[in-house]
Amino acid sequence: MTLLKRLIDWFDVRIGAREVVARELTGYLLPRNINTWYSMGSILLFIFAMQMVTGILLLIYYVPDADKAFKSVTFIMNEVPFGWLIRLCHAVGSNLMVLVLLFHMLSVLFMNSYKSPRELNWLTGFILFTMIQGISLTGYLLPWSQLSFWATTVATNSVGAIPAIGPYLVEFLRGGKLVGPPTLGRFFALHVVLIPTGIGALIGAHLFFLQRTGVSTPPFGQKETANQWKGDGYRYESHPEGIPFFPVYALEDIRSIFIYLACFLGVVFFFPNLLFTKEAFLPANPLQTPLHIKPEWYFLANYQTLKIFPSEFLGLAVQGIAMTFLALLPFIDRDPERHPLKRPLFMVCALGGLLLWIGLGVWGHYS
Amino acid sequence: MDNSGRRTFLGVCLGGLAAAVTAAATWPVYRYLAPRSTATTAARVEIPEKDVPEGEAKFFDFGGASAVLVRKPGGGLIALSAVCTHMGCIVQWEKDTQDFLCPCHGGHYTADGGVISGPPPKSLAKLPFIVANGIITIG
Amino acid sequence: MHLPGKVFALLSPLFLALLAPLPATAAESPEIVCIQCHSAMPGRLGEPVKLWKGSIHAENGIACNACHGGDPKNAANAMSPARGFLGAPKETAIPAFCGRCHVGVMRDYLASAHGKALGKGGPTCVTCHSNHHVVKASLDLINEKNCSRCHGFERARLIRDAMQETEGMIVAIDTRIAAYKEEGTDTEGMQKGLFAVRNRFHTLFHNVDAAMVKKESAGIQGDLRKIQNQLTALDASRQKRKLAGAGGISAMLLLALFAHLLRKTYD
Repeated sequence: MTLLKRLIDWFDVRIGAREVVARELTGYLLPRNINTWYSMGSILLFIFAMQMVTGILLLIYYVPDADKAFKSVTFIMNEVPFGWLIRLCHAVGSNLMVLVLLFHMLSVLFMNSYKSPRELNWLTGFILFTMIQGISLTGYLLPWSQLSFWATTVATNSVGAIPAIGPYLVEFLRGGKLVGPPTLGRFFALHVVLIPTGIGALIGAHLFFLQRTGVSTPPFGQKETANQWKGDGYRYESHPEGIPFFPVYALEDIRSIFIYLACFLGVVFFFPNLLFTKEAFLPANPLQTPLHIKPEWYFLANYQTLKIFPSEFLGLAVQGIAMTFLALLPFIDRDPERHPLKRPLFMVCALGGLLLWIGLGVWGHYS
Repeated sequence: MDNSGRRTFLGVCLGGLAAAVTAAATWPVYRYLAPRSTATTAARVEIPEKDVPEGEAKFFDFGGASAVLVRKPGGGLIALSAVCTHMGCIVQWEKDTQDFLCPCHGGHYTADGGVISGPPPKSLAKLPFIVANGIITIG
Repeated sequence: MHLPGKVFALLSPLFLALLAPLPATAAESPEIVCIQCHSAMPGRLGEPVKLWKGSIHAENGIACNACHGGDPKNAANAMSPARGFLGAPKETAIPAFCGRCHVGVMRDYLASAHGKALGKGGPTCVTCHSNHHVVKASLDLINEKNCSRCHGFERARLIRDAMQETEGMIVAIDTRIAAYKEEGTDTEGMQKGLFAVRNRFHTLFHNVDAAMVKKESAGIQGDLRKIQNQLTALDASRQKRKLAGAGGISAMLLLALFAHLLRKTYD
């Protein structure tokens, strides 16, 4: 024990470690009525770290070459000891990352935490959401299977509906007229370097904003639920009577992470094929379009939207408008009230939107 | 006091199990990264020289796959894998034309294993062998 | 207010890169010209395209020109004899037509009673296998309706019975391999092995000689058992993975419980 104490002392006299702990961990107080939904962010940090580790491990054996990519993934899945586990963790992790991210965003939405002064938190979070979509999309191509090849073909194709520049934009995205080896090269660079770096930087910004503004108080169980901030000056939202982050809320975070891990391992070991169709295990063949290629579940609603509009451009425009509206939500919704039950119109719109998204997805799946 | 004892106990349980799980999780990662053993204990096959007369081919099992020995006119010996490089059928020796034919999809190979015609993407693999005291040892 | 708009514009390719319906891309996949014209033709000239689409040849990417020759990339000269166009073979030329690829089968067929009756009312390849809609050969082809078009079913039944057990093994192994393949297991080696054995076995049938079928079956079954053993080993490894997974999940739940109880001590 004295050795440990001496080690801590050694650091303390140099960098003031105890002060940092006192301020940021044990002295970092959170609202008393905080709930489990507040631990979604910690789960997401954990998943992102897992994706980084498994992704780096996959890079050791993966070959980003159109002739070798599929074989290298097959090699990882079959020949390398525990390669199947690493690969499944990466693939399942990416899907669950999107799912937990949706929970995180929905909880912020329903607790009205995006309101001022937290516009920047929402905005960085929303950009992170689109980047996660981007990293999922680019990663999808890398195994160079029939599924990845054709899903990428249809995905990049819809960009062509943008007037004037659309067709060139498609070609630019693909690095050629059709999806091919040049597409793999650029998607690989995006997936393993550019987007992860961007995500890392944005996570930093997101946490910095959280640290500066302070954790929002959940609107539940409070007498006064209106937004107190008037925009007159910077103010850290402190919770003097609150519970310490360490060890109390950290334990709740850990509990959430382990529950997540149990679900995650459940999918990895017992339902690994939830995410794959048999096309995922056939090498990409540019001359043979498989039947019924469907995008991943979180793109199904977008896919169906494009189908139900008479013109692809209209479908794309509607999605663009919806995404812009959501990105700018804290600037549009300026009502100070934060309790969802005191905002029936908001609740109807939010729930209706969620049900519409799920409904379109289910429709897309079965259409 | 009771609470603090309980806290210590649970803390040890949580920390201990977490450490054990972490240790267990490093095992797959270690195995994933460990160098793959390349040592192949290829079984040797011995065939008497008189079993392979001139212009004839002798098929045999080599390391779990089919292989063939050919003695060309003039006495030159060749050992080849007999597995067609197209779909894995076993090639057949055509004595009258002195070449190999894969009956599945019409792949033709020379006696040396080179592709003459048909769908095979590459030549039949050559196998190393030595001849000593009238015995051909392959492998 | 400008920042989000700009960011959106920058990122729009990412989230606009969503998925369009399939038909948009069908035109993009380069098709051979034979199909472009013939699929629109009525009756006899259009029928082969439809039939071929359901065939084992289509499944394996063997298109019109692989058998009929010609130039699949040039509509004007697609059917030019100068570019190797063959058209439909005459009845007596059918075995040679198919035998360009199916060499071994042709040889056994020509040596058999069936092959010796070629041009004298005997069956050709397409009599039993059909032409454009040729599917993976199975024992089902030997049935009373098929055989009794020309002769009694008695001898054919003998051959069929002799093949039944081995065929059953092949079908069962094939199903198991397919299930593993759909899960991403590398089954290429087993598939090739089974393909070779199946081929050896089906070639046997074209001899139309029941005694020979019986004689060869033992060796073939031995080879099939080797593939079965590989599959059994795979089954065992998958079982082990599930056990490990169950252990991992239990550990995670236990850890979550400890964290929860520890959290409770701070209330």
